[in-house]
Amino acid sequence: MSTQEERELEAAVATLVDDVWVTIVWNDPVNLMTYVTHVFRTYFGFTQEVAEARMWEVHHDGKSVVSSGTREKMEADVQAMHSYGLHATMQRSDA
Amino acid sequence: MRAFVVDGEAAVARLDGEERDVVATLIADVAVLLGAEHFSESNDGDTSAQGTGPPSDEDMIRESLAGIADSVETPHDPAVLALLPHASKDDDALAQEFRRLTEHDMRNLKVARLKRMWEALSAEESEWRVSLDEALPTAAALTDVRLVLASRLGVSTEDDAELLRMSIATAIDSEEAPTDEGAAQRLWWGMVYESLGWLQESLLDALSFPDQEPDSHHDGDDTKGGDDV
Repeated sequence: MSTQEERELEAAVATLVDDVWVTIVWNDPVNLMTYVTHVFRTYFGFTQEVAEARMWEVHHDGKSVVSSGTREKMEADVQAMHSYGLHATMQRSDA
Repeated sequence: MRAFVVDGEAAVARLDGEERDVVATLIADVAVLLGAEHFSESNDGDTSAQGTGPPSDEDMIRESLAGIADSVETPHDPAVLALLPHASKDDDALAQEFRRLTEHDMRNLKVARLKRMWEALSAEESEWRVSLDEALPTAAALTDVRLVLASRLGVSTEDDAELLRMSIATAIDSEEAPTDEGAAQRLWWGMVYESLGWLQESLLDALSFPDQEPDSHHDGDDTKGGDDV
């Protein structure tokens, strides 16, 4: 079981060893382009231009990396995307 | 059905009694898929009195709605998976851990949002008024309903969605009801799916451009097209 302390330690270690994670949003045939753009603007604070660019990436390329950071932060981002009905996953950045 | 237009601090759509009944029932069934108790009707009026469709349609709708909630016990139900997706493509342990940490809260959040939308639609009013603060949660709840419908309709790619739109357009043009019951149901639910997308789009427009008063442009004729969907 992951306690708060463990999670904080994990995040600190992640920063130390440069263990960077990313959140990826995947294309689906259900979500409207305007909705995806709006969610990106609202949650990530993107400008309209950036939000639209990421949305088009999702639409054309099938996916877009929308954020990066510690594993803990990515868990929060993926959870938020799921709450909006977007299909998001997280993984280690393959840098 | 009339799309959302901005009215002061709210977005307002219009649904007749039958439309409200169908959407509210669908919302309640999606909540059941998420593990909620069936939303109880505080005001169990006979809304069909306002409906214009023949009763046989309603029977058919209720029957297929019941089918939507049937698979609640199936852990690998694709509709539930669409609402609560895996958090990893290839790391099962990560996905399981994520599920263990977040799924309970996620279900509760989605059910609470559906409940608010259900309550708004269960009121005996033709106006569906959504405050601008509530517009994004409502759009998100509409997404959840559309995800379930899409899953039940087998829409998993852009091509599937396009095929569905084409079959609806063809059916509307031919003005003949499909003779096959399965095809009729699919067509009917496809229309509901498209209508909810159309409502969601108008709600987002209201949210994105809240300064546009409904009277300031030609909304009257624009919204009539929605009756066909």
